[in-house]
Amino acid sequence: MISRLRRILSSRFLLPGAVVFGVALGGVLAFGVGGAQGAGQRETTYGHPSTIIYFYPPDSYIPAGQALFGTFCSSCHGPKAEGTSRAPNLVGVGPATVDFWVTTGRMPAENPNAIQAPRKPAKLSDQEALEIAAYVNSLGPARPGIPRVNVKDANVAVGADLFSLNCAACHTITGAGDELAFGTAAPSLRAATPTQVAAAIRTGPGNMPRFTGNLSDAQVADIVAYVTKYVQHPTNPGGFALGGVGPVAEGFVALLFGVGLLALVGYWIGERS
Amino acid sequence: MSSTTDTRTRRQVRAARGRYGRVGQIIDELDDRLGLAKGGRAFLDKIFPDHWSFMLGEIALYSFIVLVATGVFLTLYYVPSQAETIYHGTYAPLRGQRVTAAYASTVDISLDVRAGLLVRQMHHWAADIFLGAIVIHMARIFFTGAFRKPRELNWTIGLTLLVLSLANGFIGYSLPDDLISGTGIRILYSIVLSIPFVGSYLAFWIFGGNFPGNEIIVRLFIVHVLILPVIIGGLIGAHLFLLVRQKHTQFPGKGKAEDNVVGSPMYPTFMAKTTGYLFMITAVITVLGGIAQINPIWQFGQYQAPKISYAVQPDWYMGWLDGALRIMPSWEFTGWGHTIPFVVLLPAVIFPGMIFTLCYAWPAIERRFTGDSDIHHLLDRPRDRPKRTAAGAAMIALMFTLLGASATDVLANFFQISLNEVLWTFRVLVFVVPIVVGLFTWRICIEMQGGGASIGKRKRAVLMTRSASGEYRTVDTEPQPDDEHEELPPIPVPMHIEVGAPIGREDGQQPSGVRTVQR
Amino acid sequence: MEEDLPLPAASLDDPHLRESVRNPEGAERAIAVLLALGVLGVGLFGVAYVQNWKPWTLGLSLGLGLFFLGFGVTAWGKYLMPQGPFSEARHALRSARAEREAISAALVERTGVVVRRRRVLVGLLASGLGIFGIVALFPLLRSLGPLPGLTLTKTNWRRGSLLVDSTGRAIHREAIEPGGIVTVFPAGFEHDDQAAAVDQVVLIRVQLTDLVTEPGRSSWAPEGYVAYSKLCTHAGCPVGLYEKQLRLLVCPCHQSMFNIDDGAVPQFGPAPRPLPQLPLFVDHSGFLRAQSGFDQPVGPGYYERTTS
Repeated sequence: MISRLRRILSSRFLLPGAVVFGVALGGVLAFGVGGAQGAGQRETTYGHPSTIIYFYPPDSYIPAGQALFGTFCSSCHGPKAEGTSRAPNLVGVGPATVDFWVTTGRMPAENPNAIQAPRKPAKLSDQEALEIAAYVNSLGPARPGIPRVNVKDANVAVGADLFSLNCAACHTITGAGDELAFGTAAPSLRAATPTQVAAAIRTGPGNMPRFTGNLSDAQVADIVAYVTKYVQHPTNPGGFALGGVGPVAEGFVALLFGVGLLALVGYWIGERS
Repeated sequence: MSSTTDTRTRRQVRAARGRYGRVGQIIDELDDRLGLAKGGRAFLDKIFPDHWSFMLGEIALYSFIVLVATGVFLTLYYVPSQAETIYHGTYAPLRGQRVTAAYASTVDISLDVRAGLLVRQMHHWAADIFLGAIVIHMARIFFTGAFRKPRELNWTIGLTLLVLSLANGFIGYSLPDDLISGTGIRILYSIVLSIPFVGSYLAFWIFGGNFPGNEIIVRLFIVHVLILPVIIGGLIGAHLFLLVRQKHTQFPGKGKAEDNVVGSPMYPTFMAKTTGYLFMITAVITVLGGIAQINPIWQFGQYQAPKISYAVQPDWYMGWLDGALRIMPSWEFTGWGHTIPFVVLLPAVIFPGMIFTLCYAWPAIERRFTGDSDIHHLLDRPRDRPKRTAAGAAMIALMFTLLGASATDVLANFFQISLNEVLWTFRVLVFVVPIVVGLFTWRICIEMQGGGASIGKRKRAVLMTRSASGEYRTVDTEPQPDDEHEELPPIPVPMHIEVGAPIGREDGQQPSGVRTVQR
Repeated sequence: MEEDLPLPAASLDDPHLRESVRNPEGAERAIAVLLALGVLGVGLFGVAYVQNWKPWTLGLSLGLGLFFLGFGVTAWGKYLMPQGPFSEARHALRSARAEREAISAALVERTGVVVRRRRVLVGLLASGLGIFGIVALFPLLRSLGPLPGLTLTKTNWRRGSLLVDSTGRAIHREAIEPGGIVTVFPAGFEHDDQAAAVDQVVLIRVQLTDLVTEPGRSSWAPEGYVAYSKLCTHAGCPVGLYEKQLRLLVCPCHQSMFNIDDGAVPQFGPAPRPLPQLPLFVDHSGFLRAQSGFDQPVGPGYYERTTS
């Protein structure tokens, strides 16, 4: 218990804002006082524990979360999140999954019949996402918690290496995303927050595979650092990146602005008759 | 030595130089030894047609010059080796990664060599533009029938230049050894492997063993910077030699005939225009190289066989092959202990072979069908040869449909539709589009025929008026001052074509436009 | 002087020698401005280079400088030089009949003397050159690389090979949860780029219970761990794209889609064959190992690939 607190304090992970800090403290206190959920679930870390903290919203959020769930989620997922013919069972998915889907704006879904819910501006606040996550998790406590990533000591080179091996096959090497099989798509990574990137890796939302035991927390933090520092803010000394979709856009520019412009110049130089 | 002898010598020298001074003397000395005067004068008088479509080949020629110049710069820094090294440059996400010397040096050129990125991007843009210019130049030659006798050989040389340039473009794209280009080489290996009987032997010999081997980069390098450029340069020389030898074709028009060439002389008019065009072509490539990022290999990382990025496409000029690979149904023959992967062999070996054979054979095919084996120097208007124009349009449509098919994923993503549906659409379009485009073009050509009277004349504006009762009426406008510019009959190039100051300006008596010529 | 020249001279007011603009002084001024801008641009490039400014400043300054120079020079040629049109006579390229016959005669007659009467010599020379041509191919081709032999049929997977990821970590039975994927190699070969090119395997945990992808493969996917060769059977790209809910492996290059539930049979796209499946077992320490190597060559098709 004390060692865990010390770990958190020594993690040099300064939460951006007192509210979130309070929430984290609340979570720790709730764990210490209540202990209703087994320690095995809470200490779900892979490898070095200081790089990612898996945060579980406190039980005090549950009533608010229940109300939100009733308003926004239960019509598809059922009153007890048990799932319906339209939407999957949410019991036992863990807070990270709920937080990911709500904070990326995918849930509540605009069109529940769509093959894949697209990312859009979040309808609910981060706080409300935590409350729903607390409620859903209370129905069937599970891991992983919401990953809070400390990228300060992360190695972006390791992250880049792992990204090209594990992530680029779908999201493309520039993180632009692309269309996959049968109407599904790998979304662009440009807008993802560190928590969302880590949550997606750990939970595998939708068609994305989940990466658990084969990526340590440190490695996930490396990937998160690479994505948030370089994929989202690419080094483009060469000028306009042309959407980062490679030769398709480049060929378009070469033919239209290169050959086309030069042919126009030739049209001006020469005679027309 | 006194100053008087010096003076006398100088005067003698000046006297010896004759009327045209130092230039005349140099010409005399050269002509004594090489006999250049007559041919040189003829070269200065060589006539280049003024029509704008004759400029397209120059885009290709000057892009090639830019390619050679920038390529030489790149060879000074590029290390053609797959030897493993640890990256220590300025780009943090690569620092400490195992990379090949080829990749590391290309990243260094991009990020650490001063002006290196500009030159590298210019080289890449120049390649994309080079191939594009070859294609539209070739289209002009095709649609106007410029490949007909006596120019079949130059058509063949030009086509060979296209094939070699395609190959060299692909090879150059592969040299950085980054993730995307490595995937391209992997596919190339599989294509070679698919050839019956000899495929696996060829693949092993080209790559020095099973993929990826340790040899391919250095071999591609020497092919890219020496073997193919020398052949391409030589063929360009032959292409231009034949052009000078056979003289230009020209569109029919006033004063233009099978036995002359009408246009601007090499010196000074054409030389000024073409030098300016060289500058402007280099300029467009330079601007693109400076502000439009192409192939940012530092973002892609080192190629390693298990790594892959989605949305991998070759450069645009290879896209038609990639598109053909994508839409091909999964046919593979297996039997008698052997496998023939038609799924790769057909689209990537047999299909391009057929396309290029058709292109090479086209002059002979057309001669067979039209029975026309006369010598032609006057060009066809595309509308006057509807079948040929339709065939060419269908071919271009086929190529661009296939190019589109190589971007199925990008298109599906852009238009938010299912990738599978896009692919099936292209499987249909690849047959439908060329046929529709061909028929449509043929029809349009037929419709447009008969307007032959306006050849070689400047168009005059047509005025459309609407009367108060809503009736529309078109009338030819009155001739404007600019229209008075009459089509002069062409004359041989005179010796003096320097234009003097107009003398009619001061007294206002001379009509404007008439100038005196200093003799 | 002019009278001596064989070439025609233009008369003083020949309209062919008019510039094609009506206001040459204005055109000259405009061209001067263009050329001055060009000089400015290329000069600015020098400054940008010396100051080591960003690439876009280099490209824009040099590019715009060259463009203005080119624009100016072209306009000079287009507007301030005689407009013509000028013509050049085109003579037939063909030679006189007698010339043609002379060269044909020389070729045929001389060849008749030196070649047709010396058939033995010609035969020997031809066979010498022919044999040289063939023999020269040996070093030209054969030295380039080894013969394929059985290389293409082999991987480094053996009975009992330990599955490790790219960093060399073995895969424990509990390491991966359903829906997880990892690229694995036989232990000892994970850092060998040459070996990895053929050995690469995707390991997917589909479920918690054994998975039977095809009849006869009942023991191949213990505890829901299924392993397929990562080399696409179409063109050899790594099939690294896994869609968990669709249960599809997709090739990022040409979008072949393989259903992982029934032996990676291609569902869509150009791939002609299923991905070869690697039979697995869990050893007594709980780590995943290969029961054997692949039962068929991995990767794209080639002529010597046997059908069984």
